[in-house]
Amino acid sequence: MNKPSIVKQLDEKDMRSLAGVGVMPGKDNYAATLVVRDQETAYVRSDHRDVELLPIAEAFKRYDWLKTEYSFKAVPAGYDEITRQCAAMERPIGYFIRVYKGAHVTLPCQTALYMATGGMDQAVHNIVILEEESELELITGCVSERRVATGRHLSVDEYYVGKNAGLTSTMVHSWGKQMQVFPRGGVIVEENGRYESNYISLSAAQLVKSDPQTYLNGKGASAQHLTVILGTPGSEIHTDGNVFLNAEDTNAELLHRGVCIGGKMYQGGLIIAKAPGRGHVDCAGMLLETKGDGFIQSVPGLQSHHPDARLSHEASIGKIVPEQLEYLMSRGMEEMEAVSMLIRGFLGADVIGLGDELDAQIAEIVEIAGHGEE
Amino acid sequence: MKTNILEVRDLCVAVGDKQILNHLNLEIPDGEVHALFGQNGSGKTTLMMTIMGFSGYDVTNGQILFKGRNIAELDVSERARLGMSIAQQRPPTVFGVKLRTILDYILRDTENPQERMTELAASAKMEDFLSRSINEGLSGGEIKRAELLQLIAMRPDFAMMDEPDSGIDIEALNVIGGLINQLFSPDETHPVKRKTGLIITHNGNILRQLHIDKGHVMHNGSIGCSGNPDIILDKVSRVGYEECVHCIETRCE
Repeated sequence: MNKPSIVKQLDEKDMRSLAGVGVMPGKDNYAATLVVRDQETAYVRSDHRDVELLPIAEAFKRYDWLKTEYSFKAVPAGYDEITRQCAAMERPIGYFIRVYKGAHVTLPCQTALYMATGGMDQAVHNIVILEEESELELITGCVSERRVATGRHLSVDEYYVGKNAGLTSTMVHSWGKQMQVFPRGGVIVEENGRYESNYISLSAAQLVKSDPQTYLNGKGASAQHLTVILGTPGSEIHTDGNVFLNAEDTNAELLHRGVCIGGKMYQGGLIIAKAPGRGHVDCAGMLLETKGDGFIQSVPGLQSHHPDARLSHEASIGKIVPEQLEYLMSRGMEEMEAVSMLIRGFLGADVIGLGDELDAQIAEIVEIAGHGEE
Repeated sequence: MKTNILEVRDLCVAVGDKQILNHLNLEIPDGEVHALFGQNGSGKTTLMMTIMGFSGYDVTNGQILFKGRNIAELDVSERARLGMSIAQQRPPTVFGVKLRTILDYILRDTENPQERMTELAASAKMEDFLSRSINEGLSGGEIKRAELLQLIAMRPDFAMMDEPDSGIDIEALNVIGGLINQLFSPDETHPVKRKTGLIITHNGNILRQLHIDKGHVMHNGSIGCSGNPDIILDKVSRVGYEECVHCIETRCE
């Protein structure tokens, strides 16, 4: 068993915050773990011979090719103000993961971007490379300590999925109510590569602007993005992003699931077909009691440059259907239990394997929405 | 002497602006299964939905007593936990909530719940539907089996079924009949006493599958006549509901 190469003091409250987004440093059932706390690497441990996990600064020192061939190639450094700030870091913070050719890593790799101190900018740059025929499940928790009210989290995530490789990325966000969060992502998928992304925001920040770009460059490459958002009063959440079908037989699916009890929720996403691929965008919103200050805007988008591309989209916004609620209640559930089950079902919680942390958030939302017990 | 598990007294119910049930009276003793006949629009489904407490059915007069208790103030959930349940004819599709999830909930306090679920799903021929959203894309017969599967898992003291025999072939009817008999079968507390039930049947096919203690014919939102279910069905089969209605109206005059 390898010992962690870097261990700063992660105290009880740090561990509690990380556990809230499903990250548990020190547990054995992970291939590798890295935690960024504020602007330092606090924990690194790698237990798998086929997974290389390093702080990004160390990786840049070790591999010249990382800068020349990968860094800011999936996300241009000059894309916007966020990427420029991340690119300008003198001492880059973040992680580098490489899975070697042909390695099917069965245990997940976990990383955390954690803000323990308020009122600051956390800017990170992460690069993940899956070599040909390799597979990895990556769990990333992005979280602020519960007493941290303000601050900004800026990130650039670059994922490179090689030929016949498969990456499943589950990212869980849980931020303080005054935080501002700007994730910028770029994913390049090669021939027959598979990329699955689950983005889950359980506790909404004041402002979230997510805008990932996915490039399906190889024949038969596929991407599926599932975005699950719980919106609360005072929050403004934009989940956009583009998927480019750049090769034949590519396949993309963008799925948005949002439950809003207040605040502004913008569901977007554009599939751009430049080759004969298939794409589907599905936005679904559940608007609960908002006392007038909340809304959901769903704008699924399609752009086709190729006559043989097959693209479709759908969008729906509604409330909890009373007939469904009473149906579950007729099986003996109390109203709050039935609402929770409907929300969990709507969000696809069973599919993405969310457990207690989501239940706690849903219970809070049900109560705020006025369906809970007094 | 049997006690009534359900007593409906002088019940009037409106749906929107329309009065559907008119001073309806009905008693079902504990351990009996009754059938409810009647033309379309006579108020059969409204009666069941009102007994279960679904919203949209406004009780404007009368009482419903269940196990001797006036249940007017109880919501659907409380009535279910008191021991009543319903298999709807057209239940809603509940997207995202799997049949397995609701069975997990119903069986949560059962010994070996997963084994029990597997066993029940097999008996209802619903093993392949456990991971599907409730009622999503199911045929008419599959919906009836899914509803009965949930009711059997609940083991209610009083079960209502809305047309479990409509729109299905003879083979499916045999399966449904078997499930209903399973639902009403005696439990360990009494060797012969069945569970109590009320079944809406339009065509009476279900009568060939299980013993019905009493039949009622509904007309214009109330019980027009009651009696031996086989004789009622025989009469309806020979002369149709119109003659039945004529008979009821003549007797009322």
